This record gives sequence, C-alpha cells and structure tokens, in this order.
Amino acid sequence: MNTVLSRANSLFAFSLSVMAALTFGCFVTTAFKDRRVPVDVHVSKVMLKNVDDFTGPRERSDLGFITFDLSPIFDWNVKQLFLYLSAEYTTKSNCLNQVLNLRDMKSKYFFFDDGNGLRANKNITLTLSWNVVPNAGVLPLVAGSGQVSLPFPEAYETTKSY
Amino acid sequence: MLSIFKSIPSHMDYKGQKLAEQIFQGIILISAVIGFVYGLIIEQFGWTVYIVLAGFVISCVLTLPPWPMFRKNPLSWQPTIPEISGESIQKPQESLKKKKHK
Repeated sequence: MNTVLSRANSLFAFSLSVMAALTFGCFVTTAFKDRRVPVDVHVSKVMLKNVDDFTGPRERSDLGFITFDLSPIFDWNVKQLFLYLSAEYTTKSNCLNQVLNLRDMKSKYFFFDDGNGLRANKNITLTLSWNVVPNAGVLPLVAGSGQVSLPFPEAYETTKSY
Repeated sequence: MLSIFKSIPSHMDYKGQKLAEQIFQGIILISAVIGFVYGLIIEQFGWTVYIVLAGFVISCVLTLPPWPMFRKNPLSWQPTIPEISGESIQKPQESLKKKKHK
C-alpha cells in the first residue's frame, strides 16, 4: 500500500466485492415475491386493418390496438418486462411480444394474425402474461390475473396512405 | 510524461497505510449499507449503485493522496555511516572471488 496505484487497486477491488454482495442482497429480497398482479386491460380502440406484413411469409394480417396498466409489478429488481398478449378465439391463438422500457407503457400494440381470422369473430378472450427480466435473479413467466374478452369489429377500416 | 507522476512523492508510513485501509473500508461499507437501505425503501436499485459510487469517490479523495495524517509515524532510519570509498568497493569484489573459487 505504499504507492498510489496499489492503494487504488485495493480500493477498487473492495468496492467491486461490496457491489456484488449488494446485488446478491437485492436478489434475496425479491426472489420469493409473488408476481401475479391483477391487470386492468382496457381496450381503447380496436381497429382492424388488413395490411401487408413484411416480417413473415403471410400475405395479409390484421391489427389491433390495446392499452393496459401494469405499475404494481415494478419493484427495484425489475429491469425490463417482456409482455405476451395472447388472444384465444375459436379458430386459433396468437402471441405477440413487446419489450418495454421501465416507465414507458402508453404505446400502441400490433397484433398480427396469420390469416384473416380476426375479422368477424364475435368473442375474443385476451389474456396478458409477462416475463420479468430482473437485475439479479431468476426470470419468471407469470400470467396476469385479469383478462378481457371483447368482440372485434365486423368490417375493416380503410388504411391511410402516408 | 510519466516521469512527472513518478517524481511526486506518494509514500505513507506503515501506521498511515493501516489507517488509510481502515478508512476506505469503513467508508465503502457505510455507504453500501446506506445505499442498500435507501434503495430498498424507494425500490430502485440504481440509487444503491449511485450511493456506493459516491462512497467510492469520497474514499478515493481521502486515501489516495498522501495526506499528512498518514505520515505521523515515520520510520527512524539509522544515521548514515560515512564511507571510505576505496575499501568498501574492494571488499565485496574479494568476497565474490572467494565464492567463485569454491
């Protein structure tokens, strides 16, 4: 410890060990917490469009817009959430993924269908489940306890041209 | 450029080194405890990291430069014996020659 460099070295190494211990403590305090949260799913506007989808081999797909409220999940170990919105209806079920930043929740969501099956379905059940990406610890996949069933509209909207 | 840094004296005596180590360990541990409790209360781990980093910077400032409080127990060296230059140079060479012959 005679030179500045050796003091700096031991100081830095000690700080890193302390940070590792704190991260472990953070994991311990939240690892056993129950992450099922009742979720309010509000469907603000349901719009169906028939658009060309460039991401996959499908020719046409349908779009739906949905908002929801998820703030009780965010405790200090949560870095990110992967959201799965699954819709079950009589023909088949879809899943879509959205990666959210921690405080950003009010955006529109795309909901692609394989074919033209969304159009005239009278009753569709939407269930929200998510995957929690923590700062330290395991990654649980949790299903939300609220769900909404709603009918999709009958006709397509006309697409806007930009 | 490095010669400038090497010429600044940065030594501490032994009790000063022990004191410096105790100081930085104590500061970092205290800031870690404060940071952990504060982060637990407001539920954001980022603040815990910020508080520990602040403790790191404070202990850098307190222990890296050789403050006078770390030099209060200097080592007492023996006074230098004035050398007679001819004898002292010859003697080690003779002892080396003897060892080689063996």
